[in-house]
Amino acid sequence: MLELALLILGCALATYLWRGLGMLVSGRVRMDSEFFIWAGCVAYALIAGLAVRILLLPTGTLAATPLPERLVACAIALIVYFVFRRNLFVGIAAGFVALVTLVAIRSGF
Amino acid sequence: MVLAAGYLGFGALANGQFPLWAALLSTVSIFALPGQLAMLEMSIAGSVPVMIVITVSLTAARFLPMTVALLPMLRTVGRPAWQIYAAVHLLAMTGWAASMRRCPDLPLEQRLPWFVGFALTNWVACLVATAVGYELAESLPPLVRQGLVFIGPLYFVLILTGETRTRHGVVALACGAVAGPLIHVAAPQWSVLLGGLIGGTLAWGLLVGVKKRA
Repeated sequence: MLELALLILGCALATYLWRGLGMLVSGRVRMDSEFFIWAGCVAYALIAGLAVRILLLPTGTLAATPLPERLVACAIALIVYFVFRRNLFVGIAAGFVALVTLVAIRSGF
Repeated sequence: MVLAAGYLGFGALANGQFPLWAALLSTVSIFALPGQLAMLEMSIAGSVPVMIVITVSLTAARFLPMTVALLPMLRTVGRPAWQIYAAVHLLAMTGWAASMRRCPDLPLEQRLPWFVGFALTNWVACLVATAVGYELAESLPPLVRQGLVFIGPLYFVLILTGETRTRHGVVALACGAVAGPLIHVAAPQWSVLLGGLIGGTLAWGLLVGVKKRA
């Protein structure tokens, strides 16, 4: 329990570090340097890699759903999201309903 | 409010892996969904704590340029620095984007209160959503629980495809989306960190190469 609390607080510090550092260097460094471009690329790739990995190779609860259902639901969510002019809420709701419906159909409800 | 939907998914995902207090503590103290998701997934995969902290830190690096861009708008003469240090803890994507849009129209002395009010509301809503998602996951049938957990990754797939405008961002997304799962097959504990580093560096290298040739 203590270990978990320490882990979370460690992650919190590591996150706040960037916000606080932003305060310190504000107005003093150029943000368009190659280092910041690289850091931005790593952050994007990291989040994208994690999200796609959870969709393709989930652990836990989501692992019980079949891969084709997850992919189709994700595609439906993307289409609805863009049709509704990037309305995130509608897109997510569509993905949720699509996954639940598809899995229900497969299991024969 | 949409961010709260993401936290609903995070709460549901955390159920069964983390105790409720830990899920809530992470929302209060980290308040950055990608980092929290990475922390949760890596803990499940059994990664070393030091590696988890490094990875979470990398997902949060985006806050540096965001803070730097926002601060000149919020800073006023005579306001104690601790107030701003406390306020930037609440900085996250949604509040940042809204403030960048709204603050230029507000008088200087009203901007920080406006930002804090907006971000604080978000913070509380996300905290409630974490708890609701967690509790719902327990009481709902497995089918609906799967749908809730699905919201977590879906949230990022949508927001990243829809809101990424720069060329760097798009190439990095593509490289990361391929590298993340591939590395996961070989080394699950390393996949988040290595996937980001390799995918991101590859994207950056590709773009530098294209720029040189042009």
